[in-house]
Amino acid sequence: MKHLKPLNAKARLLEEAAAAGRPDEVQLMATVAGCASTLDPGWEVDPFGGVAGLCQPMEADLYGCTDPCWWPAQVADTLNSYPDWNAEAPSAQRDWRVLQSVFPKK
Amino acid sequence: MRKSWLLPCLIAGLWLAAPAAEAAQDEGPLLAERCGSCHQTTSGNGLTRIDEQRKTPEAWDMTLVRMVQFHGVELSDDERARLVKHLADRQGLAPSETDGFRYILERQPGVIESPPDAELATLCARCHSYARIALQRRTEDEWRKLAHFHLGQFPTAEYQALGRDRNWWEIASEQAPGQLAELFPLKSEAWDRWQQRPAAALAGDWRFVGHHPGRGGYHGTMTLAATGDDRYDLKLQLTYDDGETASGQGAGILYTGYEWRGRSEVGSTTSLQVMALAEDGTTMTGRSFLADQDAVGGQLTMTRLDASPQILAVTPGYVRAGEGRKLAIQGVGLAGDVDLGPGVTVDNVLSADDQTIVVHVQAAADAALGGRSVKVGTIAADQALVVYDRIDRLSVEPPYTIARVGGAGGAVPPVAAQFEAIAWQNGADGAPGTADDLRIGALPARWSTDNFDATAVALKDAAHAGSMQAGGLFMPSGAGPNPARPFETNNAGNLKVLAAVDDAGREVTGEGQLIVTVQRWNDPPIR
Repeated sequence: MKHLKPLNAKARLLEEAAAAGRPDEVQLMATVAGCASTLDPGWEVDPFGGVAGLCQPMEADLYGCTDPCWWPAQVADTLNSYPDWNAEAPSAQRDWRVLQSVFPKK
Repeated sequence: MRKSWLLPCLIAGLWLAAPAAEAAQDEGPLLAERCGSCHQTTSGNGLTRIDEQRKTPEAWDMTLVRMVQFHGVELSDDERARLVKHLADRQGLAPSETDGFRYILERQPGVIESPPDAELATLCARCHSYARIALQRRTEDEWRKLAHFHLGQFPTAEYQALGRDRNWWEIASEQAPGQLAELFPLKSEAWDRWQQRPAAALAGDWRFVGHHPGRGGYHGTMTLAATGDDRYDLKLQLTYDDGETASGQGAGILYTGYEWRGRSEVGSTTSLQVMALAEDGTTMTGRSFLADQDAVGGQLTMTRLDASPQILAVTPGYVRAGEGRKLAIQGVGLAGDVDLGPGVTVDNVLSADDQTIVVHVQAAADAALGGRSVKVGTIAADQALVVYDRIDRLSVEPPYTIARVGGAGGAVPPVAAQFEAIAWQNGADGAPGTADDLRIGALPARWSTDNFDATAVALKDAAHAGSMQAGGLFMPSGAGPNPARPFETNNAGNLKVLAAVDDAGREVTGEGQLIVTVQRWNDPPIR
């Protein structure tokens, strides 16, 4: 790490955790069953077990998640499964209220 | 619009009552008609792929929905319900094959899984629960096809499975299918034996006891009337421990000879029951929860009213040494004197019938601390009553869970979190958190939240993420970007959940953690 310099808050947290001998905090976190832990951060929880490291507001990057099928168990992927999911919501930040949950239930 | 996932006609198939029939229906013709145009007929007159799998009713429902959404199958509500029943009955799991994983069917909140196989957990459970695979049975070739399906349908599976760091496809397509077929094989002795079972008949009266965190215990009677094909109408009469009574009605279905799925309406509240019928056919255990807030609910036990005499619950299950209090014993076939063991005497029987005995008891100051049996006549319930003399600490249950922002005009409602404060007394070693600690039970508490850490303080999470209500129910704030927060971030937050009770003039507190996070847009019955 001595040749790398953190440029943002998340990177500084990573460096601090590693320096303090808390590597578990930057590794795969066990989270509640059904949530995603993959890709650190997961969809629900960030690598530190909080939410400040998530991509927020989520709407700012939502289609960056749906287009490449990033968290398909939590987010409707428009790559293959639900290609028209956001057809009526061209701007997630503006139109997020239009977006539906994809599993059909009452 | 390529697919029909928006079709409002598709509603939750598991609790959807199809027209009553006189006997268990064979929907083979419907299966062949709807599925046979893609799935080839096998030499055994079955259908390829379909015949190589066994699953829970929820998992079959998810399969059918996927066929509708991804492959354009046309199914009415009625056909969807009939096919789930047909497949779950003929290609379900034996009761023992669901052991240890029923939490995902019951939608228990705050479950942290401990997968028995780390390699498979890394491969499968970084996106969804491990239980989702552990509640399926397939041939090795069929497990391999599932790996291929994931790569084709969700190409990022490569990243999710740590494909940048290892030869993941070799693991997924060559090693894992064999492991999975060994752990979760299509053919099993348990399933062979279960298929020989006599048909279950649930009609009649059932006595139930339940516990609803935030609301307390309740008990009552459910009457089931058969309407055909393992479907039943139900009527409920229930009494909460605080004396409030209610009645309701609904319907339910028994899948696979033991998987009970009930739906009841009590007042304006709709609740779902996910329960397993014991092999002797006299008891069902599981969880009841609100249909629109599945984190809000609790454990439920039902026993046939004509089952052998037994104690189902003692509420509350604790008494302080040196004090007196009222206790209710719930059960079936209750008869005889109440015996609470040395040092705890019944000084008044307030009411008694064969289902409920209410007594006032007095615990001696020197009564032995710890759990003890409760006896009524010749029957007993082990460890049904705890005698304590001090509350040393509180734990918050669940100790770590999530809630989700929602609503605010969006289609996805908020997901609440329900907490409960559990009182403990230190054991003989005097130290908290050790194996000899005495779990006293759930107590009403004062509830609040606070920022979990410095980051949460900086972002004022506690002020934005939602509010704690009386009874330990946390309601998250609205979804969407919040202009009042840095970068218009969502109303997510990392919170301490704080509970406090008074014990003999001392305040005793407990703490849990709540992650308030964003909506999920894909929320199937097995997550």
